[in-house]
Amino acid sequence: MRQDELERAVRSALCSEVESASTRLAGLEERVVADLGDRAPRLGALEWLRQLLAPSPGARWAQIAVLGATAAVFLTLGLWIAEDRSSDGDLAAMPRLAAAPAPTDDESVLFVLPALNAKSVSVVGSFSDWEAVPLQDEDGDGIWTARLPLPPGRYEYAFVIDGRWWGQDPLADGYIRSFGEYSSVRYVGGGGDGV
Amino acid sequence: MSRAKPPSGEPCILGTEEAQESVYRVQNEVSLLRASLAGETAAWGEIVARYKDAVFGLCLGFLRSPADAEDITHDAFIRAYDNLRRYNLEKRFSTWLFTIAANLCRNRLRYRRNHPVSDPDVESPGGIDPAAAVAREERQVRVRDGLTQLPYGYRAPLVLRYYNDLSYREISEVLAIPEGTVKTRIHRAKAILKDLIGPVGVIDHETG
Repeated sequence: MRQDELERAVRSALCSEVESASTRLAGLEERVVADLGDRAPRLGALEWLRQLLAPSPGARWAQIAVLGATAAVFLTLGLWIAEDRSSDGDLAAMPRLAAAPAPTDDESVLFVLPALNAKSVSVVGSFSDWEAVPLQDEDGDGIWTARLPLPPGRYEYAFVIDGRWWGQDPLADGYIRSFGEYSSVRYVGGGGDGV
Repeated sequence: MSRAKPPSGEPCILGTEEAQESVYRVQNEVSLLRASLAGETAAWGEIVARYKDAVFGLCLGFLRSPADAEDITHDAFIRAYDNLRRYNLEKRFSTWLFTIAANLCRNRLRYRRNHPVSDPDVESPGGIDPAAAVAREERQVRVRDGLTQLPYGYRAPLVLRYYNDLSYREISEVLAIPEGTVKTRIHRAKAILKDLIGPVGVIDHETG
C-alpha cells in the first residue's frame, strides 16, 4: 500500500466516522449556549486585579457622592466667606455656581465618530467592561457622539459601527493591536498625555 | 467520497441545513471572538457551529468513542469560552481550540485507565448501514479498527495531521511535543497502521 493511499484511507475513515456520528452534533451550539447562560468569559489575571483594586460601581458612586458633598460644602463656605468680606461685591452669579453640579474626579470624555450611513454606533471599552455604550446622532448629520464621565486613567476602547469593530478612533491618544484588531487608547486626567 | 482538503476547522460535512439566519453567520472569526469576549454567547454559538465537526473529529479520533467524543467536544467549547481571554492571537484560533480539546481527551483517557470498571466499552464507532457494507466500507472498517488499536501517542498526531490538516509545527503545539517527535511518530504510526490493516491491501483511489 502506498503511503498516500494510507493517508487518504485514514482521512476518509475518520471523515466517515464523523459523518456517521453526526447526529450527536445536531444542536450542539444551542446546548453549549444554553449551558453558558449569560456568563461572560473569565477575566484574565490583570483584569481581575484591576477590578479588584478599582472600586465597585456602587462604591464609586458613593465616592463621587462624598467628593461632591465635600466640594459643595467648601464652595458654600468659600462663597459665604467671599460674600462676608466683600461689601459691594456683585455676587449675584455666585449662588448659581454653588448650586451647580458638584465637581467630581471624573472627567467628561467626549467620544465622536463620523459614520455617515451607520444605523447604530456604540463604544465598547475597558471603562464599560466592554459593554456597548450607544452613541447618539440626534440631528442625523452622521456625527455620532457620547459623553461619558470617566475617572482618570488609561482606557482601551473601540467603536462598533453596525456591529462591526472600528478600533482606530482618530481622536485617540494611541492604538494597540490586540486580539487581531486595533483598539484605541485614551488617557483621561493626570494619566499623562500621548503614548 | 473523496475529501477535498478543507481549511482547518472547516467541517468535512457541511451542515447547510443548520445554517441560521443570523447576523453572526456573516461575521468574520475575529468579530465573533470579540463579540464572544464581550459576553455575547450567541456569537460563541456560531463559533461552535463552525468548529464542532473539526473538534468532534479530533476527539473521536483520539478517544475512539462517539459518546466520549461528544462529551469532550461540548466541554471543550465551554472551556474555550471561559478561557477566551487567554487566547493569544499569534496562534491560529483553531490550534488553540484543538489544544484544549486534546488536553481534555488526554484527561479522559487517563480517567478511563484509572476507572476500568466504570469504563463503558469503547464503542465501535460507526452505525454503518450494513447494506452499504461494500468493499470500500470494509476497508474503512479495517482502517478504523487499526486506528483504535494504534497506541494513543501515535494515533493523536495522525488524527491531527490527516483529519484536522495541521502542520507538524501546529501538532507539536497542540500535543506539547517537539516537532521532530511529531514527524517520527506520524511516520511510525503509518507503519504500524499498515501492519494492523494487514494485507487487505490495495486501497483504491476513492471516487466521490
